[in-house]
Amino acid sequence: MTRRFAGAALVVVALALPQLSCESDDTSVKSVTPIRSSKTLGTTHGPNGEPATPTSALDLTPTEIAKVRAGHYTAAFLWHENAQWTTAVSNGARDVFDDLGVDVIAEASANFDAARQKAELETVEARHPSALLTLPVDPVVTASAYKAAARQGMKIVLLSILPQGMKQGPDYVNVVTDDLFQMGKRAADALAAAVGDEGKIAYFFRDANSYVTNQRDQAFLKTITTNYPGIEVVAKQGIADPTKAQEQAAAVVLKNPDLSGAYVTFSEPPGEGVLAALRAAGNDETKLVSLDISDPMALDMAKGGNTTALVVDRAYELGRAMAVSAGYGLLGKKAPAFVVAPAMTITRSELVQGYQASLHRDPPTSVLKALGQ
Amino acid sequence: MISRRYFVYVAFLALLAFFAITLHDDGFLSQTNLLNIVRQTTPVTVMAVAVVFVLSAGEIDLSLGAVVALSALVTADVMQDHGAVLGVAAGLGVGMGVGAVNGGLVAVLRLPSFLVTLASMGVVAGLARTITDLRSVAVEDRGFIDIFGSGDVGPVPGLAFWALGAVALGQFGFRHRRFGAHVLAVGDNRAAARATGIRVDRVKFAVLVISGTAAALAGILYTGRVQGASYTLGEQDLLTVIAAVVIGGTRLFGGQGSVIGALVGSLIMGMLTNGLILSGLSSSEQLVAQGLLLLLAITLTARPEGDPI
Repeated sequence: MTRRFAGAALVVVALALPQLSCESDDTSVKSVTPIRSSKTLGTTHGPNGEPATPTSALDLTPTEIAKVRAGHYTAAFLWHENAQWTTAVSNGARDVFDDLGVDVIAEASANFDAARQKAELETVEARHPSALLTLPVDPVVTASAYKAAARQGMKIVLLSILPQGMKQGPDYVNVVTDDLFQMGKRAADALAAAVGDEGKIAYFFRDANSYVTNQRDQAFLKTITTNYPGIEVVAKQGIADPTKAQEQAAAVVLKNPDLSGAYVTFSEPPGEGVLAALRAAGNDETKLVSLDISDPMALDMAKGGNTTALVVDRAYELGRAMAVSAGYGLLGKKAPAFVVAPAMTITRSELVQGYQASLHRDPPTSVLKALGQ
Repeated sequence: MISRRYFVYVAFLALLAFFAITLHDDGFLSQTNLLNIVRQTTPVTVMAVAVVFVLSAGEIDLSLGAVVALSALVTADVMQDHGAVLGVAAGLGVGMGVGAVNGGLVAVLRLPSFLVTLASMGVVAGLARTITDLRSVAVEDRGFIDIFGSGDVGPVPGLAFWALGAVALGQFGFRHRRFGAHVLAVGDNRAAARATGIRVDRVKFAVLVISGTAAALAGILYTGRVQGASYTLGEQDLLTVIAAVVIGGTRLFGGQGSVIGALVGSLIMGMLTNGLILSGLSSSEQLVAQGLLLLLAITLTARPEGDPI
């Protein structure tokens, strides 16, 4: 019993942990201007305009946790892809579910295929999980499948994407996501600092209809063009196929050999592709900022290469928040409609803390070695 | 001694028994789950039937998955303003058109189907992304949805009838019409087929049109099933379809094929995915297990007749 409530306390305390600030004290190999926070020009809203509630506001009391434990509930995870980011989300959720006595009975990844996700959802339904944590591949074509699952009484917690026509309460518990605007803004602030607030930059954005990446990209562009008049965006390149970013970046670099910096919509694989293009061109001057953690880019940053900052969300915390939200749903407790995990900027000096805060693990050995640890 | 051509059925029963025993508490054998497997595999089955013809003729169609997406989007898009009948006709027309272009280039210009369909895969995938500017299109026509994917006839999903229809038509054409024999002859020995008077180019053209049309039908079935279309639909189906067909006893390089085997191969692929998810393995573990079980199935079924194991 003591252990049970110790676990309960952990859930509450961990979600209320003060957020790690990583904006200052940058001491990378090459000296750069410290990152300062510019004016915030927007906020992250939910898919229906809901105001954001921080993950730290989620809370289950020991009595509520005991009630969930007594229910002997089960849960399933359905993700859009299988990557270290989704692994970290799963790990965060599993740790909370362990404390809540919820058994995770199935997990699947759709590899961005909506039809496959529908099939996986039907398959998982055969085991009648009490709760479902999921990132829908597509808000339109997955909607019918999720509505059907909701009708079966499954408590659905959504990561980032809200399927069309679903209503909070009867259809889903809530939407949990990153602080999308802050991620784009932080990337702009980090790149501005890296280039000394002036020069030419390239903007590699996601050329797809994506709620998450579109908001982050637009926040970056708005911040960099409004708050940093000395910076000129000379190339805007849409990335439709993330695996082709290297070819696209090679052309941009060829056309703009004097680029001071570049922003890439996300790191794995387009950020890595842009980095490869810079290396192939023998360019070690252009500063690179991207979103989400990538081991090759982290290694490049540790070695003092082109990569100067990675702006990341807290994937592990997203998972924890989703599991706690599932607890709300199982108890019938009203959950905040739209919950966000804070963003953070990782520079070379905060790589180890950044990996821990985002993915809840240490950087790979190669990164630690490059950092001299 | 069991003939190698029956190994696919043995593999199917062995896998069914394996999951039935290991997942007996996890709903694997429930009627809902077994019908789910049929629903989930129908688009792959429809394409697999066509690919039996393509591979048996010694050709390949890499544009399948891209055609699925484009025809799904065209169907959903046209349907919004012009109704389901025109939507379906437009979707099927896209598939036939792409198949005819592929077939024409292969038959008339004597280009290898691998390269032709590799190129058309790129063109078609690009068009699928372009026509709706990467947006998904929702479908609300209840009649269309019921007929093409989400409806049931009693306890039997409507999709099962599409799968059976495709298999019956394929089996009839492959085993009971001269065309099937011509396909096998072309795949077995092109020069000999030509010498016996078979119009080899016409056969090549026809199998690629069949393939494009089947991919379009699969796209329409996906559209009915998920009640919408997006450019990602079916894009990853190509290898699943080819694996199903080869497991089912069709030779990758022509001259031998089995439509019924392709159906069973498709069910094996669907059952593998379904069972491994129900087993509670992580996504990465599922990939490893799927690869190993697939290797086992191929070892049993895809070797030429007469080879010692």
